[in-house]
Amino acid sequence: MIAILFDGIVQGLQLSLMAVGITLIFGLGGVLNLAHGQFAVVGGIAAALLIEAGVYAPLACALGMLSAGVLGLVVDRTLLVPAYRSAGEERLLLGLLITLGLSFVVNGYLDFKYADISLTLNLATPSFNVGGITIRTASAVAALIAIVAFVLLFAFLKGTLLGKVIRSIIQNEVGAGLCGINPGRIRTVIVIMSAMMAALGGITQGLFSSLGTEMGNELTSYALIVTVVGGVRSINGTLAAGVLLGIVNAFASYYVGAYLTLIILLGTAALTILLRPEGLFAHRT
Amino acid sequence: MSVVIAAEDVEVAYGDMSVVRGVSLEVRQGEAVAIIGPNGAGKTTLFKAIAGMLALRAGRIIYQGARLDGIRHYDVVKQGVVYVPAERELFPQMTVMENLELGAYAHYKSHAERMKFVLGVFPRLDERRTQMAGTLSGGEQQMLAVGRGLMARPKILLLDEPSTGLAPLFVSEMYRQLSRLKEQGLTILLAEQQIPHALAFSERAYVLENGAIRLSGKSKDLLGDPEIQKTYLGMD
Amino acid sequence: MKTYLADYVTLILVAVVLALMPLGLGGSAYYLRLATLMLIYMAYAVAFNIIFGHTRQLFLCVGALAGCSAYISVVLVMKMSLSAWASIPVGILSAAVLGGVFSYVSVRRGLGVIFVGIVTLVSSMIFHNLILGLRQWTNGETGIETKGLGPALLAPGLGSYYAILGVLMASLVLYHLLMRSRAGAAFRAIADDELAAELAGIDVTMYKVLAATVGSALIGAIGAIYAYYGGFINPTVYGFVNVDIAVLVTLLLGGMGTMLGPVIGGVLFTILDEIVRPLGRINVLVYGVLMVLLVISFRHGLVALLRKLTGARIP
Repeated sequence: MIAILFDGIVQGLQLSLMAVGITLIFGLGGVLNLAHGQFAVVGGIAAALLIEAGVYAPLACALGMLSAGVLGLVVDRTLLVPAYRSAGEERLLLGLLITLGLSFVVNGYLDFKYADISLTLNLATPSFNVGGITIRTASAVAALIAIVAFVLLFAFLKGTLLGKVIRSIIQNEVGAGLCGINPGRIRTVIVIMSAMMAALGGITQGLFSSLGTEMGNELTSYALIVTVVGGVRSINGTLAAGVLLGIVNAFASYYVGAYLTLIILLGTAALTILLRPEGLFAHRT
Repeated sequence: MSVVIAAEDVEVAYGDMSVVRGVSLEVRQGEAVAIIGPNGAGKTTLFKAIAGMLALRAGRIIYQGARLDGIRHYDVVKQGVVYVPAERELFPQMTVMENLELGAYAHYKSHAERMKFVLGVFPRLDERRTQMAGTLSGGEQQMLAVGRGLMARPKILLLDEPSTGLAPLFVSEMYRQLSRLKEQGLTILLAEQQIPHALAFSERAYVLENGAIRLSGKSKDLLGDPEIQKTYLGMD
Repeated sequence: MKTYLADYVTLILVAVVLALMPLGLGGSAYYLRLATLMLIYMAYAVAFNIIFGHTRQLFLCVGALAGCSAYISVVLVMKMSLSAWASIPVGILSAAVLGGVFSYVSVRRGLGVIFVGIVTLVSSMIFHNLILGLRQWTNGETGIETKGLGPALLAPGLGSYYAILGVLMASLVLYHLLMRSRAGAAFRAIADDELAAELAGIDVTMYKVLAATVGSALIGAIGAIYAYYGGFINPTVYGFVNVDIAVLVTLLLGGMGTMLGPVIGGVLFTILDEIVRPLGRINVLVYGVLMVLLVISFRHGLVALLRKLTGARIP
């Protein structure tokens, strides 16, 4: 039981890490990034290629994250421009369709060129013992990475000027403009951050199993579910929802099997939208 | 006295509909100018146009001798044109202090010192500095909105209906603080439906009706104008 | 008095051109099949046009609705020995009800376009997993062979081409009638500014649900018909990529909110697909690039472009 719970929490933190990027881009830029999983895969594949070329693994991972960030920068400054130029519903629609198309472009390219590449990270000690419970090192490392990432994120958002600016745009874009804040430049920062966090999520996936080129859409789907349940504009909500759904996923997978589990998760997302569109945990950014 | 801001023959339209047409006005250094008029007259539209949030269909806005229209609304703040809308547009899940701090974004280096000043102007905000903006009362939120505007070191402050929805006590206090600021040299352009306060506070006023200036002159004179009295002050 | 001459001419032209098309295909069974599939996608596009093009309900579940109808119909025939003619209406009804319910709940809850998109996208995924999970009924990923299950009319060949062409023409006529009725005027008002339409006294809920139900019923019909024509169904056949993306690209190419849009878009998409599919793995990338380019620079489709160039009233 405890093992499943722990597994669930670790998975949940992973999910939150993936999902928070979508929340940020949606809350700030008003764009639903359906290509989010692709950022994760790009980061992972880049890391894998670098490791294959002999680069020291942690460095390769960092560079992988960076390359995802660069992709995010390019996408934001080129493809998303038509979306940013519109407002409200038009922007949402354009953003959704453009990122959808982008997901196919990246997916198609990676599948074509790097179909055999995948990222698998092996740790020296496969598991260790704490108080009689065997813990997989991978789980511990992944959980630690996610927790550190979130702590840094919250510290950044709460403590730095840029962080406050970001929160202000999410809470009230008009108000931010009145303070002289240009949302466009900040959006780019957010897209880069978000891509890098997705890449981090993808790379930690490599600790558990392997991250392959075909996983992009699956990662996006999970991230979307978490974001929707937690609240598309709430970072706290996304974190909470991720952990919750991770636990649900772990228990459900154990007891009722893969398909039903996925249906339960999807159903939760659908019900949340229908019953409480702002998210189950949304009340603070 | 030099002209700080002037609108020349300004027209603002939504699609085919002109909301504001042929409006010319000017505000001089250190003045408080009021724009009064009924609901829907176009006051907010005019303000949004001056602040760069709406594009002009025709005409120009001149600020300190240069054209202001066409500059994005977030860029005019740094130049000293600060707009406080009727909707306030605060950041509900950030504290009073954080709201104020962000108000100083355009001049961030000196924000700490400016914050002391603004909290001195609105001691009530000082008492509530760590409270979430969304939980403040209507009057306090209005004060916060004005205070946030002040944080940007405005050369001219555009106040849109600062007294709407406020208890009379708050309204008086607000205008008292604004008078103090005016004495210290702040130029103010305000739009109001509450005529008595606006005319008492300002030196000059324009009457905007159906998108056009109908009357203008010294506020004292307008207060005494029989038509104004009948239409807006309900006196007969 | 509004004259619908342009619409009638268009309908007749489309019918004639499409009816004569098999003659130009040189008797090739392959090209006949391709043309038939083209008709199917055109019909899907007409339906999605009604739902999204006219009332802005982003139903990213076209494949799921079609698949629902198809699977229900096929399973009824296989397991309950119902005749296809009896089971197809059941499929259509279920798709119509689902679509109508989605629409009703979304409108009542005041869900914006994006949330409708998300909820329907999620539903597509639920559908996909339901089919995979209920494998004792649906055979899961392996799918079901439907050869011989359906009416002889729908067996691949010239007969099915004309039968499906009939369905397409019926849907275009239905579209025309819908758009010239009060419903059509309501659709235009709703697509323009929903709040204003509401204030003007238009029952937005009823018209949106109507559009969604009619569109979904049509999708259900096509889905079921295709199940018997295609000879084989599995979750991928009715998957998001095979149906929804195709329909989106078709309408982007042709032009949303127009009558000819689905038709022209269908032709262009089929040609494009033929060129791209043999490229193998890279075809997904091409579709992505196409989508992005279309959305960014060619959002209004070919019909709008033609209208601008010729100034003619192209429906």
